[in-house]
Amino acid sequence: MNEERLIKSANYVRTELPVRIAHRLRDLQALPYVVVTQEGVAKVYELYWTAFDKFRRYPQVDTLEDNDAFCVFLRNILDEHSTVIPSLSLGLSLSSPYLAPDRLDAFMRRMLVSRISRRVLVEHHVALSQSFNNKLKGTGQAGAPVGIIHTGLNVKESIKRCVAYLRSRPYDADQDVSSGTQNVDWSEVVIDGHVDTTFPYIREHLEYIIFELLKNSFRATRSKHPDASRLPSIRATIVAASHQVTIRISDQGGGIMSSHITTPSDLFSFSHVRNAARLDDARLGALRTVSSSSRGMKATVDEQVKTWQTATAEHTPSPASLAPHPRIGIGLPMSNIFATYFGGSLEIVSMDGYGTDVYLRLPRLGTNLEGIEV
Amino acid sequence: MNHTTSLWRPYLHSATRSTRHSRRQFHLGDIHSAVPDAPSPTEIAPLLEEFAKHSPRPLTLPKLFSFGQPLTAESILESASYVLSEAPRLFGSRVRNLEALPFIVGMNPFIARILAAHRKSFKTIAMFPPVTSLEENTRVTAQLEALVQAHANDIPTMAKGFQECSRYMTPEEISEFLDSAIRNRIAVRLIAEQHIALSRALQNGGKKVEEYIGVIHLACSPKQMIRMCGSFVSELCEATFGSAPKIIIDGDVDSTFVYVPVHLEYILTEILKNAFRASVERHHKQGYSSRHPIPPIYITISPPGSETPIASSAPSSSTAHPFISKHKQRPHFLSMRIRDEGGGVAESNINKIFSYSFTTAGRNSVSASMDDIDFSGSGGGGGPYAAQHIGGMAALDGSYGGGGGGLFGEMVGRGVQVGTGTIAGLGYGLPMSRLYAKYFGGSLDFISLDGWGSDVFLKLRCLDDAEDVVIG
Repeated sequence: MNEERLIKSANYVRTELPVRIAHRLRDLQALPYVVVTQEGVAKVYELYWTAFDKFRRYPQVDTLEDNDAFCVFLRNILDEHSTVIPSLSLGLSLSSPYLAPDRLDAFMRRMLVSRISRRVLVEHHVALSQSFNNKLKGTGQAGAPVGIIHTGLNVKESIKRCVAYLRSRPYDADQDVSSGTQNVDWSEVVIDGHVDTTFPYIREHLEYIIFELLKNSFRATRSKHPDASRLPSIRATIVAASHQVTIRISDQGGGIMSSHITTPSDLFSFSHVRNAARLDDARLGALRTVSSSSRGMKATVDEQVKTWQTATAEHTPSPASLAPHPRIGIGLPMSNIFATYFGGSLEIVSMDGYGTDVYLRLPRLGTNLEGIEV
Repeated sequence: MNHTTSLWRPYLHSATRSTRHSRRQFHLGDIHSAVPDAPSPTEIAPLLEEFAKHSPRPLTLPKLFSFGQPLTAESILESASYVLSEAPRLFGSRVRNLEALPFIVGMNPFIARILAAHRKSFKTIAMFPPVTSLEENTRVTAQLEALVQAHANDIPTMAKGFQECSRYMTPEEISEFLDSAIRNRIAVRLIAEQHIALSRALQNGGKKVEEYIGVIHLACSPKQMIRMCGSFVSELCEATFGSAPKIIIDGDVDSTFVYVPVHLEYILTEILKNAFRASVERHHKQGYSSRHPIPPIYITISPPGSETPIASSAPSSSTAHPFISKHKQRPHFLSMRIRDEGGGVAESNINKIFSYSFTTAGRNSVSASMDDIDFSGSGGGGGPYAAQHIGGMAALDGSYGGGGGGLFGEMVGRGVQVGTGTIAGLGYGLPMSRLYAKYFGGSLDFISLDGWGSDVFLKLRCLDDAEDVVIG
């Protein structure tokens, strides 16, 4: 990485992003009128339009100082767009009666995949700039990740990190399920299989998925055994194959089938036709709250953890009055999109009355021609 | 595996020699002589047509239950009348399907033999007079039993035939044919064996077996069935490989449900055979000595839930919109997860495991010495698989009625009849298990973690709550 390449990367990002945003705008424009004028969707359309305009007016980057300013600009736009996910979810859930489930899910998928792509591009460039600056100043570290791709991501460490965050929450952190009367510790997580597996991947993506899946497992296990003095453990099995890594998470949370859905993969859908819970009042309320807050939702683990830490630090009187983490219910659809982004997969199998097994398969980056959607 | 092949080799040689000597110029008439008294196609064509004209009286589960509740002479006679109308229809449809196979396939000695046997059975059962008394019923029941016995070797024989004919039909065509043949066979056996069991129960007078209605067990215990099948497979595994893993049962271990035990027995045996073989082979491959125990097989039982019907939980912004879903009442299932650490299925094979005759058994085998016999087709060879070949041939040689001539036929015959004689071989275990599971509306799913192990998810429909299931 040298100065010339960094500048080139900056201009690539500068010219590529408006193209992709333009595609998103076109996609939005093609939706039924009644959908785009919905609360939530309208807001997202405005945001994208403004972003497009700003990008196309941005001057060429010629020097390192230009690049630094550009990185700040990028950071700001990312922050402005942090409410996109909950707003879009809200808007599309409300539009669910007007759009066929397949079309709705396909549209949402394109939006979210494009968003991931743009963020990957931007964050990768910003990370490269940072490490380049550090090198110049002599403060770089050896063996640091290449941009945002971690070449030797240790799966067991990532799992343990997520487990530590999740288990440090209070026992009644999930307000919408009965958590029993005893302050019983969260389940243990046993990790087995090829425990020393490392592979090249984007840490934020992997940890988001594991975090969401484990969060579901913890919640379900506690909810299923409200009177137990010790909750049954959760098992995470890591399996390394030549071109992919599989993580299987097995819990005893009673399974996921409910009256809202007909098959487990319905949980990945944003349409209420597939998943009737999307139009639950509580769900919609939570989406509204998050989409109108300034922090929005970026779909990262760090963001969720910071929220809890802030809440505990402020010693909120009772969990019911402040909902630091309202359940908006898009953990699974987002995880599915992250998982399939580089050509992996997420599969849920439920043994109703007993528990759930989730199979997460992720390709080793760089070994295949990953089918990356843009 | 080597000691097994060295056992079979001399038998194989003598068996092939005797078959070759009896093979001369093959005439069409020879097929019929291979099955004594088998009617010719032209002879039964009118009978077939007549039965095809009858509108089917399909048997539903509640109807099947009703013959045994209460169990009286009248209910038995009614059951007999159902059997005598449904069984010929089912046999007739199988005859027609067999006759619809390509000529060259129908000419294969194994397939031809099956076809002739079916024609004979069809004629026999189509010509039964109606049953009007319990004595007549006893006679008919005995004949039914003999009929079921006569067809015990059908699957391995057909397997052999299709293997030889694999160049004349695509795998999809073979699959489709076998799927419908096996489903048909499950139906016939169910109806026949239910009637036989009920008749016997009535004969035993008041000695009612509380928990059974014919072959349906009202309190089928997965735990007991697992123990039973587990010990059988364990013996087989020890005999073949010298060691076997343990089975650990968890979840709701004492749950019971209403089911046909012999179906569950078949499915469990096949799944366990796969799991045991994979676990032992992987364990050996990794070079572990006997100090390291073979990872056990974990079977988790999940009881049938009390599902609440969904009815109208549709949102209030309702029926005007076109995309409101209508959820139906959900049936009840008992679920089992069979989890092993046998290394899983390779990515390249995962799509083939449910196709008939795909097996990884017996690759390095006796086939070199079997060049006299044309075993062309999908590479299965000897090893434990050879026994299945022999079984087919033993059924050919000697009387129609299975069990062939001589010690050898007997040794193999029993195992082959149950279809579970060797630890691996036919490649039919998974597809057939899935058919059995799906028969009453259940499912069988296979998830592989390549490099670690496999999970098999088995969902079986509780039969006390299955009004919509139609037999046959």
